[in-house]
Amino acid sequence: MDTNRRWFFAGLRQALGGPAFYVALALMGVGALARTAGFPLGGTVLSTILVWAGPGQLLFFGAVAAKTAPLSIAAAVSVSSVRLLPMCLSVLPMLRGPRTRFSTLAFASHFIAVTVWAESLRRLPDMDKAHRLPFFFGFACACMTLTAFSTALGYWLTLSLPRPLGAGLMMLSPIYFLATTARSSRSGADWLSLAAGALLAPVAQSLVGGDFDLPVLALVGGGGAWAVGYWARRRAAA
Amino acid sequence: MTLPDPALSPYLALLLLGFLPSEIWRMASLFFARRIDEDSEAFLFVRSVANVLLVGVVTKIVLLPKGDLAYVPVAARLGAIAVGAAAFFLFRRSVFAAIVAGEATIILAAWSIG
Repeated sequence: MDTNRRWFFAGLRQALGGPAFYVALALMGVGALARTAGFPLGGTVLSTILVWAGPGQLLFFGAVAAKTAPLSIAAAVSVSSVRLLPMCLSVLPMLRGPRTRFSTLAFASHFIAVTVWAESLRRLPDMDKAHRLPFFFGFACACMTLTAFSTALGYWLTLSLPRPLGAGLMMLSPIYFLATTARSSRSGADWLSLAAGALLAPVAQSLVGGDFDLPVLALVGGGGAWAVGYWARRRAAA
Repeated sequence: MTLPDPALSPYLALLLLGFLPSEIWRMASLFFARRIDEDSEAFLFVRSVANVLLVGVVTKIVLLPKGDLAYVPVAARLGAIAVGAAAFFLFRRSVFAAIVAGEATIILAAWSIG
């Protein structure tokens, strides 16, 4: 077996040793949400393969279920995916060799989301540069394939499980993404933005209506929490 | 330009409202010469907005649920979030603890009401 193939399988094995299952479990709930939002199965599985960003998918299907205006959905998904930019910027240089093609890097960038990013930062630096790309693709493909299946599984299960388990499946993604967002909170302003989202969402919904409440919520709540943080940083610096 | 309605053309909606808005950031990274400062005010602003959006959508899912979740009273749904949050902090910001505790709460609550 040639070295590339060996490293591809090494990445595959690493992912199946844990990380791929965590992403797959987290995204199973997204499949359930998509089903109740009235989305087709194919589109739900494709969302995992094409969007490949949990929070973006949660926003997409949550907004589709709430019948949010298309422009609001696109804007919300895009804002939540800005974090992919610094992630790609930290991983791609590790994958780039002297003869790496641009198209290869562009393809690699599509697989970068939080799990693949975190594991890449952890494992790639100690690895010989020639082995990194096959390892990366093996790891990322295992994560994405397993998650595509689990999204479909969540979709199928949600209306055929006993009701308590179906309810549990629908709460899986909300709890998971709340917890991961809370875990990455570093400052008081971060916590303020989480509280603002929870408290202002019902207000925005009833005042603005489901169509455009997300942009209003984002600018008033997100902008407000940022402004408070900005003011606090200014004061601390002065 | 009219954007696709997810209810009428889900695949086109997924491409234009889900895939593209997300993928542009990965594509943009290919043309950046250097790292960017993630503690810059612009990035802090974006993170704040993204947090609010995520929590806002979760709040919508919990307050206006569909499917099996709609049969569970609102107190139980909020209770599951509260118990999950308590476990999260009790076990030093453990996502795993939040999931186990929150899931146990919602499943038990849904089961006990039948």
